[in-house]
Amino acid sequence: MKKPPEWSISIGFNIFITTLGIVFVALLLTGLVFLLFFSATLNGLVERNAREINKQIVMNFESYINSVIETANYIEFASYNRDLTTEAAALSELLRQNVNLKRDVLAIFLFDSTGNKVLGSGLDVARRDSVASQAWFRTTVATDGVFHFNDWQASSLVDSREDLVIPVSKSFEFLNGGRLERGVLLIELNNAGLTDLARKTNLGRDGFLLIVDEAGSLLYSSEASPDRRTAPALAVVADLFMGGQRHDLAGTEMFVNVNTLGQTRWRIVTISNADESAGLARRLIVLLLFILAVITLLAALFSGLISMRLSKPISQLKSSMLEIETGKFIAPIEVRGQREIVSLAHSFNSMIGKLQDLMARLVDEQQEKRKTELRALQNQINPHFLYNTLDSIVWLAEQQRNKDVIATVVALARFFRISISKGQNFISLAEEMEHVRHYLTIQSIRYVNKFTYGFDVPDELLAGKVMKLVLQPLVENAIYHGVGGEGGHIAIAARQRDGFLVLSVTNTGYGISDEKIALLCKAMRGTAEKSSVGLRNVYQRLKLYYGESADILVESRPDESTTISLLVPLAGPEERS
Amino acid sequence: MRNSTVIRESWPTSGRLAAWPAGVLIAALMALAVAGCAGGDPLVGLFLYNEADPYILEFGRQILGAAPSGFAIKKFDAANSQPIQNEQIDNFLDRRPDLLVVNPVDRLGAYAIIQRARSAAVPVVFFNREPLAADMALWDRVWYVGAKAIQSGRLQAELVIKLFGGDPAHLNAFDRNGDNVIQALILKGEQGHQDAEIRTREVLHSFEERAFRVEVLALEIANWNQAEAYEKIHHLLRQYQSAIELVISNNDAMALGAISRMRQNGWFNDADGNGVIDSRDPDWTPVVGIDGLRAAEQAITEGYLYGTVKNDSLSMALAIIELAEFLLGRRSGSSLSATVEDGRYIWVDYTPYVYQP
Repeated sequence: MKKPPEWSISIGFNIFITTLGIVFVALLLTGLVFLLFFSATLNGLVERNAREINKQIVMNFESYINSVIETANYIEFASYNRDLTTEAAALSELLRQNVNLKRDVLAIFLFDSTGNKVLGSGLDVARRDSVASQAWFRTTVATDGVFHFNDWQASSLVDSREDLVIPVSKSFEFLNGGRLERGVLLIELNNAGLTDLARKTNLGRDGFLLIVDEAGSLLYSSEASPDRRTAPALAVVADLFMGGQRHDLAGTEMFVNVNTLGQTRWRIVTISNADESAGLARRLIVLLLFILAVITLLAALFSGLISMRLSKPISQLKSSMLEIETGKFIAPIEVRGQREIVSLAHSFNSMIGKLQDLMARLVDEQQEKRKTELRALQNQINPHFLYNTLDSIVWLAEQQRNKDVIATVVALARFFRISISKGQNFISLAEEMEHVRHYLTIQSIRYVNKFTYGFDVPDELLAGKVMKLVLQPLVENAIYHGVGGEGGHIAIAARQRDGFLVLSVTNTGYGISDEKIALLCKAMRGTAEKSSVGLRNVYQRLKLYYGESADILVESRPDESTTISLLVPLAGPEERS
Repeated sequence: MRNSTVIRESWPTSGRLAAWPAGVLIAALMALAVAGCAGGDPLVGLFLYNEADPYILEFGRQILGAAPSGFAIKKFDAANSQPIQNEQIDNFLDRRPDLLVVNPVDRLGAYAIIQRARSAAVPVVFFNREPLAADMALWDRVWYVGAKAIQSGRLQAELVIKLFGGDPAHLNAFDRNGDNVIQALILKGEQGHQDAEIRTREVLHSFEERAFRVEVLALEIANWNQAEAYEKIHHLLRQYQSAIELVISNNDAMALGAISRMRQNGWFNDADGNGVIDSRDPDWTPVVGIDGLRAAEQAITEGYLYGTVKNDSLSMALAIIELAEFLLGRRSGSSLSATVEDGRYIWVDYTPYVYQP
């Protein structure tokens, strides 16, 4: 199995990110749409409201203007067909009454076309001369048929009055000596009526009202400190003749609404705070962000929990699989969690079980096969040995050593009988020793005086079963490789030690070096090229039948002796199913 | 390991899914915007000062009726409030119209309409109420279609002069008391109103010019209103009774109001019972109006109203539509039936209207 690529993401993280992503995007979109819709609606509402207030204010002013016009109309109507020359007193009274009646009216004058006073009282003599040259007088004469609400004047035409006044004038026809003459009617208003109206209007925090003339010059501002926002508002009004606009005035977002004031050339400008709605939208954004954060956090928490619940058993399963990948079979996995994962783990466990069975069976089969092979090997009669023995028998017969011939043939027969031993694998130690003794008998007849031999086997061990034909190859080695020259000795011993039956073959001789011992051990395990067939066979059979604890030890004392010991577990051969 | 690969592969899909609603939203908004821009017909706004005024109501209908197909005309009624009309115009200009046709509430406020239209580059045709000349001069894409108020008073005087025989020295039988002076009641529109002032002034001025002597028994202000005239003439009829030889009204509505009261007080007799009042009846008193309302024409046919001066709204409506076609590039300047004076004024004549059997 390949290693997973670097960018691969775990299931749990996937679930976590997906859930979180969906929740976040959905919330963000909802919030955004809501915010857009809300602020659009709110802006529209506030703007409409500002316009409506402006309209209402203008209508209030209009009714004030109309009351002034009514006064003029009444004078015009009441003086209809009344001749100035005959009814001067009555007409003067008419004007005086109207001045007294109307709180805001300071004075009413009628001037002829040259600016001379015809009617009205209290005209400041010094100012009289200038009437014809006044701007309002000239425009009134120039444009008849309409009322002129003129630029506000710093002082009245009436003596002893220094109020800020609004001259309202109109071209006026009057009878003078039976002749219709054209003059100018002037009504002087104090500005209290308009300024009171302006002051009473509630335009909210920072809101104020301007009255400008047709050229956009300021007539009146209700702002407490007129320099702050009035000046920038006037700049706006220079291009704005009607309707509303948003403008930044002295750092605050304001609605500027403009309307004309009926019957006049004036415009009423209302300025109200638009920042309040922006502030509301800002608060909403903060609230939405807070909700977004909280819900995202909750979603993260829950999706984290869910993904953990879901992915934990899977990752357990995964780590188990990885262990199996390395070849270790472990105890069945215990997985708790989702039903699917649990059943997956169960299936996995049973699969692993079957796999283990299968592998065990495979190993067993391999071992059986090996055993069969080894048995076949062990049963093989060394043809050299047979040939040599037969050769020595022939030699003995030639020498007429009949007793020796008999002994050799008997030993050979016994040797073979034990070798076969009815096909059994395990024989008693006594039989094994017998087998070796027969072998030594034959070999000692063949190699006269080459070596002596001795057995040291306690009687209580003789009955114990041992794998057959394990000592003969050792003894064979001792004869061919150990004892050199004449007078060697081979000692065969059996001992019981630490749960092992130790069978040793010691021979005198030069001994073997440590390097040679190491080589020998390698040869036994079958890893070296050159090997002693006999020793390796014994070693492998021991391992195969007795398990790993069985072993062969090689010790050597240079120029003295070499001992090869077989460690056979007393527990007997390992039972394998 | 394959598991995680499968899920990773599904990622782009879920990404697309998440982007999907936003895409749809944007697409829908764009579709809306496109739909809002659609429409090939020129958009024209018609702003009437007050539909409660029957003359204006009819005028508006005539304009709509005269408009050819392919004109999208939106009509607005300001209910006699300039702030309302301002708001209507301001809002309408946001829809990027091609033309404004405006009957202003307040002729002094027209300068603001002109400036606003100018900033939106939408031409304006005013009618019925003439803005100040100085305001008309603010922009070269402003026109006025109307009648000269002076003419109405003069024509009204002509009708009366014709009825009384045309000779100031020898008035005919309609001068009941035979004093060669016409005793008249005047019903004035609105005190201070330009038209009312001009009509009143001009009718009297014309008599003077032609040396006809007219004695104004009383001048009553009835604010252009039929019901108000009906109420206000009552005491005058009682006070002057048969001394009244003529009733001059600034408009038809007030004339009709006066006639209602006169009929109620038994002023008109149908001597021969043919359903038509006979002007030869010695008790018949002439009433003259201005405007030429349909109801006035009806009253003329029935003999109650002597005559009216038609403020020819139908001709004006046609002139307005022709001018609109010209301004929208659908008509050449030379094919206009009315003459354009001073480059921006179209004057439609008043026409006298009396019973013609």
